[in-house]
Amino acid sequence: MTDYVDAGAAVPMTQLSAVKGSAPATGNVDYERIRAAATEPQNWLTYYGTYDGQRYSSLDQITKDNVHRLTPAWVFQAGATGMQSGASTYSFEASPIVVEGVMYVSGPDGKCWALDAKTGEELWRYKHASPYDVSLCCGNVNRGVAVGHGKVYMATLNAHVVALDATTGQKVWDITAGDVRAGESRTVAPLLVKDMVIVGSSGGEFGSRGCLDAFDAETGERRWRRYMVPKPGEPGSETWPDDGEAWQRGGANCWVTPTYDPELELLYQGTGNPAPDFDGGVRPGDNLFTDSVVAVDVNTGEIRWHYQFTPHDLWDYDSTMENLLFDAPDGRKLMAHADKNGYFFVLDRTNGELVRVFPFVDRITWGEISPEGKVTPKVYPDEEGVPVHFWPGPAGGKEWTHMSYNPTTGLIYIPVQEVGATATRRRREFKESIPYWGAGVAVDLEDFYGFVSAVDPLTGEEKWRWRNEYPMCASNITTAGGLVFQGTPTGQFVALDAATGEKLWEFQCGSGHHSSPTVYSVDGRQYIAVPTGWGGWIEGFLPGLLGAAAGDALFVFALPQD
Amino acid sequence: MTTTADDRSAQLAEAGLDGQNKTALGRVLGTGSIGYAEERPDGTMTATVRIPEDELCWEPGTLILPHGGDLELTLINDDKNTHCAVLPNNGDPKIIWLVNHAKGTASINLDGPGTYYYGSTTGNDEGRGLTGAIVIGGEVPDHAKLDRPPQPRP
Repeated sequence: MTDYVDAGAAVPMTQLSAVKGSAPATGNVDYERIRAAATEPQNWLTYYGTYDGQRYSSLDQITKDNVHRLTPAWVFQAGATGMQSGASTYSFEASPIVVEGVMYVSGPDGKCWALDAKTGEELWRYKHASPYDVSLCCGNVNRGVAVGHGKVYMATLNAHVVALDATTGQKVWDITAGDVRAGESRTVAPLLVKDMVIVGSSGGEFGSRGCLDAFDAETGERRWRRYMVPKPGEPGSETWPDDGEAWQRGGANCWVTPTYDPELELLYQGTGNPAPDFDGGVRPGDNLFTDSVVAVDVNTGEIRWHYQFTPHDLWDYDSTMENLLFDAPDGRKLMAHADKNGYFFVLDRTNGELVRVFPFVDRITWGEISPEGKVTPKVYPDEEGVPVHFWPGPAGGKEWTHMSYNPTTGLIYIPVQEVGATATRRRREFKESIPYWGAGVAVDLEDFYGFVSAVDPLTGEEKWRWRNEYPMCASNITTAGGLVFQGTPTGQFVALDAATGEKLWEFQCGSGHHSSPTVYSVDGRQYIAVPTGWGGWIEGFLPGLLGAAAGDALFVFALPQD
Repeated sequence: MTTTADDRSAQLAEAGLDGQNKTALGRVLGTGSIGYAEERPDGTMTATVRIPEDELCWEPGTLILPHGGDLELTLINDDKNTHCAVLPNNGDPKIIWLVNHAKGTASINLDGPGTYYYGSTTGNDEGRGLTGAIVIGGEVPDHAKLDRPPQPRP
């Protein structure tokens, strides 16, 4: 036999592609610039667009009168090669960031791209290798990146946080933030505040102990960690069994990006369900700080106040979704939160005082919350092996996907899911990395619907609703053009009149929406970008569409140039 | 069922699942031998995988690394057909083309612990059996562990 042919050395896949390899350097994005993000609507500088989580764009080129002419400007296909974790549950959930014509967006399976926001050209690509066997409750997903200090920050499925050079995509630092053997992962979009990167944990369905971390943006060194389940003796520990191990696996993960008030220097972090999700018998007490909004001092990580939306949760009612900050006409600093439990809360964001609570869904059977905030559970899995049906189901009246607030109309637009579920308590032992639910759960395959609800947060009045055959499982966004954009599970991207709810335009994207659209402009042309791709925890929020087409394409729309 | 762990290789052979075009069309994934990477003093790991003639599999089929880090892999194609390998790697997967009777290398970086798969992404090599596993053992660094007492594992 002759000598082997020399095959050389393996090369990066990108080398065999048209990927340019670099993005133009942009102006530095720092804390002050993100604080003032509303003053540069051509960019979408941070996860929610602004720290307050309003998801509002003051761009007004696209209006009620011309939105019918909206058309795709370009499409980016994420694609995949080889085997990947959660091979059947990947979903394009991100919220694209745009800085001076460069879009930074993450996708499933550790992928991150810089794209030309005007043309869709792929400028650079990074892929963090994700183990096939990480514990993922809710699919192979990532909700986005943070951009600043010349870097792009991304959390990974195997619980790392990486900082990439914003112009090349090359790794600057990489820190192991969590323990994959303990069922931890990271799916959240990081938040850049001051010189820190804020990243919360995922892993609530595996009995991890939820936490929020702040890392040095330059080095990756951890500045502080705030556990959301107290140890014995710490404030809140009285809400857990004295002599038990429950707190060690208590949940309260922080898998959605917090909002932030720069004047108060408080992060508003929503926390996840207690573990086990449905078996409260092993964790008597209110189980702080699960299912809460926790106001965290950004400088120290200390908890300033909290408000628990569902004490002693037995329905998987995470409260991780956003806490939208807005001010009342009298100047009172408020926050709004549409919880999984079907109730809409308005709190004073300086101290957590309840201002108003009211239901925002049609069907609530799990319990009742009085106008004063008194919680009365009614229907819950209690007896071993006995099925119990309740509304809303474990994905909630609204899941993590985000509502938006339009300061012109004064309305908050809530994507609503009307889906129930049946849980049957089945107690099990805790073992690291194994799902720790304490029940068998089947979400309803019929009798579901959804709507966008336009609510006045100052009165609780629903001004209009746009009803849909299927629940709303994607974030919406509202603009100064008087519009609300909303993706549907069946692939339509629709534009609604922000004042009336009338549908003015729609485009079929070919796969369902489970992401957060963003709005920006380049060279005076307004765009709206929306990642699509039906996936994630479908069996939780809409199993009636488990058979729908998957996908992972990013659509960008604009008005015709001529 | 009378299967035991000890006789799995014999059972796979008897059932015609460990080769090409026997009971199945291709080779069932996850079969094949287990190998271990060697570690240099600097922590870099080395290993060799090869494609035997007409087997359409990587040998060893499962490569175990003691920890995450840098792996210098030698890939040998002893087959009389052309294949390739697309390998996981932090930053960007790597690809190497392996014509008949070829030998090459790949330097890759992976986090541990966890399991990664790689394959020959030409035709349906991956489905026929040319899908290998890289398994990384160990624990995450102490600073990344949760502040709680040791917990039971399966």
